[in-house]
Amino acid sequence: MPSVLLTSIVVLFAITSCFKKDADFQGKELNIAVKAQVKGMDPIYSDDRYSSTEVARVYEGLLEYHYLKRPYQLQPNLAEAMPEVTDNGLTYTFKIRKGVLFHDDAAFPGGKGRELVAEDFVFSLKRLSDPKLLGNGWWTIDGKIKGLNEWREKYNKLPQTDYTEEIEGLRALDKYTLQFKLTKPFPQFLNVLAMPFASAVAKEVADKYGKELLNHPIGTGPFKIKNGVFRQSNRIEYLKNENYRKKTYPCEASEEFSKEYLKDCGKQLPLVDRLTSHIIEETQPRWLNFLKGKVDFVEPDKDNFEGALPTGNELSPDLKAKGIQLMISPYLDITYTALNMELDLFKNNKKLRQAMLLAYNVNESNKLFYNNTGIPAQSVIPPGLKGYSKDFQNEYRGAGKAEQIAKAKELLKEAGYPDGKGLPVITYNCTSTTDAKQIGEFFQKQMAQIGINISVIQNPWPRLQEKIKNRQVMTHGIAWGADYPDAENFLQLLYGPNRAPGANGSGYDNPVYNKMFEQVAVMQDSPERTALYEKMNKMIAEEIPWIFGVHRQNTGVVHGWVTNFVQTDFEPGRSAYLSIDVEKKKALLKGL
Amino acid sequence: MNIYTYILRRLLYIFPVIIGVSFLIFILFNVVCPDPTLIMLGKHATPEQMAMLRTELGLDRPLWVQYFDILKSAFTFDFGRSWNTKQEIFQMIKNGAIPSLTFTVPGFIFSTITSLSIAVVVAFYRGKFLDKFFVVICVSMMSISSLAYILFFQWFFAYKLGMFEISGYEDGFPYFIPYVILPIIIWIILSLGYDLRFYRTVMLDEIYQDYVRTARAKGLSERVILFKHVLKNAMIPVITYVVIQIPYLILGALLIENFFGIPGLGSLVVDAINSNDFGVLKAMSILTSLAFIFFNLLSDVLYTMVDPRVRLK
Repeated sequence: MPSVLLTSIVVLFAITSCFKKDADFQGKELNIAVKAQVKGMDPIYSDDRYSSTEVARVYEGLLEYHYLKRPYQLQPNLAEAMPEVTDNGLTYTFKIRKGVLFHDDAAFPGGKGRELVAEDFVFSLKRLSDPKLLGNGWWTIDGKIKGLNEWREKYNKLPQTDYTEEIEGLRALDKYTLQFKLTKPFPQFLNVLAMPFASAVAKEVADKYGKELLNHPIGTGPFKIKNGVFRQSNRIEYLKNENYRKKTYPCEASEEFSKEYLKDCGKQLPLVDRLTSHIIEETQPRWLNFLKGKVDFVEPDKDNFEGALPTGNELSPDLKAKGIQLMISPYLDITYTALNMELDLFKNNKKLRQAMLLAYNVNESNKLFYNNTGIPAQSVIPPGLKGYSKDFQNEYRGAGKAEQIAKAKELLKEAGYPDGKGLPVITYNCTSTTDAKQIGEFFQKQMAQIGINISVIQNPWPRLQEKIKNRQVMTHGIAWGADYPDAENFLQLLYGPNRAPGANGSGYDNPVYNKMFEQVAVMQDSPERTALYEKMNKMIAEEIPWIFGVHRQNTGVVHGWVTNFVQTDFEPGRSAYLSIDVEKKKALLKGL
Repeated sequence: MNIYTYILRRLLYIFPVIIGVSFLIFILFNVVCPDPTLIMLGKHATPEQMAMLRTELGLDRPLWVQYFDILKSAFTFDFGRSWNTKQEIFQMIKNGAIPSLTFTVPGFIFSTITSLSIAVVVAFYRGKFLDKFFVVICVSMMSISSLAYILFFQWFFAYKLGMFEISGYEDGFPYFIPYVILPIIIWIILSLGYDLRFYRTVMLDEIYQDYVRTARAKGLSERVILFKHVLKNAMIPVITYVVIQIPYLILGALLIENFFGIPGLGSLVVDAINSNDFGVLKAMSILTSLAFIFFNLLSDVLYTMVDPRVRLK
């Protein structure tokens, strides 16, 4: 009986497998695997990697990062050129590109997308600040634009927000001129304008769809969503925007990119006819779909890593033979264990902190938890940012050497705790995942070598957040990823006034460091600023408010038919530059 | 008491049950759980934003008002918007119900028919090789975790042999069929062991009843006894078992949906758990309770149709 059943099911499959939608499509199509559910497509809520990437396929902002330049370099997107900035760094004036059209939608008269104007950015940034909408990206402009916080506070108390009310620091001077006036110099403001939060949304569309705008993405971007409606499902389909403005593939690249990357120089974007984002949350189906060629690139997960990269930095011969390529680049991030610097135990005992860092074998942790692909962190600034110095070596960076353990024990003795005697049990708080627990147990084992007793406490993520904000942790394991490519985004994690409930979870508060931060935070990019970043980075390396972990690496495997693929920390916008070699794909698919 | 009065009375019983269920959900999500605003606002949360979000979510209102909101939603189905995705929860549930049903219903029907048929056969050959063989198979199938079936079948049948889609889903008939075949097969295998063991016990219970001995004494064939008498009399536990499983069909299957990328209610729940989306979890808890209440009532009513000896009181 079961065999009859199975046979009938297989026959049914054979009959129905011919009912595949668009099976005869011959154009260029990108198939992208997305690791998590996409929340929606409203730019003001796009605070996670996956939603912001999807949002950026449809929406655009004033600025973007150059696709082929490293370190990351801003360039105009919907702005005609980089803005004029006054000498005091307080006023930014942008000229908007002319002739840019929104996608067609019933929200516009006659269903035809109208031209983008400066007022659209005024509206979009007010929308991001609207207290009734509670946009997740408000932090990017909180306290930065003159009059904006007052406007938000005023309408927080009133039943309805008035978007027609003028704000001093956010004005359209004419149809194509936009001006921002800041409350204080904030050089990273331009980075904020490259984030998907600050994308242009048309007022007509927002008025028509209200809260449902998250399901009706109508932007000016290179792709438009199929049928104009987003539905939370297992796939999101996009079509090339046929009315896309004149925007071409770059003809310049940094040295690390080979000439191959400039083959499409001058070609109109996007380079593919359609794009499908496949939401595949589990690792096995994502990896198998990649091996079958159903998706074009993936990041190998822990489960597949050893098979794909047996040596850690080279593809297996089997994958190489299939034309698959390996792409590795560092993430702008850092993993760390924050010490609660408000506790006397850590605050007044630098030698204890130094002993702990020395006892922690970062190389072993790199092997165990990051497939040996991470870069051991010497301090807070990750590679790829100004202020990071490749040659700098933290003298307290532990690597499992016997002499380091001996020195750590000596420091612990000098700190007043010989062999850990007299030290209380130190709690280590982490999230409730298996990985987090294993990292905690590893930390426990490392500290036990010098006699420090660690107790690992697992918490659901909201509980851990709450404990950090309320200063109820002694140490906690966490990571930070860059919001924008500037060391300031990392250094602010240790700025005293930012301590919890702000982003400074360790509560480190050093007046000298704070003063330096206040100075550097308002400086425009310059060699002086870089020098100050380096100085602060070295200061933190010696102060050790954290047990530094690693800077993780982005490891991607890409099918041979995908061209122009680059690894980036700022994925939004990348899909417009990617292309598919259709003939090569047909040939390579036969071998999969 | 006629059946309509009975149904009406049972429907009235729903109210205290819902009040109790809502209260439990309220205690779990609104009293015991930590402040959700921290997770929702992420690493840039400020006390001002957290306060505004609490107001938006209604978490700054008196606890009894929050409780009545939950209770009200059980009757109006207005669950508001997801705390994580900001999508309308009712719409999310509506969107997820069909994909779940496209594989759970066929899986359920096939597994029930198959296991019932095999149960009748093994009851016929009770104590003999065939019976023992199926008992061993049942225990073996039940001993393997569902995740092992999913991982192996996906890797072997879908990837290695290329017989099925690895994962994915297409809306609309017949496009979804290629994507649900393997999940259906896994559903059947997962259910078969449990179902077969249960139905076999039910059949054997009946087979040793007095009326079966009487039927044999009257000279009826074993086949007639089994199919005409035993099967019919075994229907009460069978109906209870079948009907009570229906809410699970609507709820989907957490692991199967997640691994096969089926955008059903199982995936919805997994995503809600992963993102601490209490809004969706509350709604799903309420709907699950309602489904169980309704299908319990349905099974009670069905008893009277199958067995006239059952009297409604």
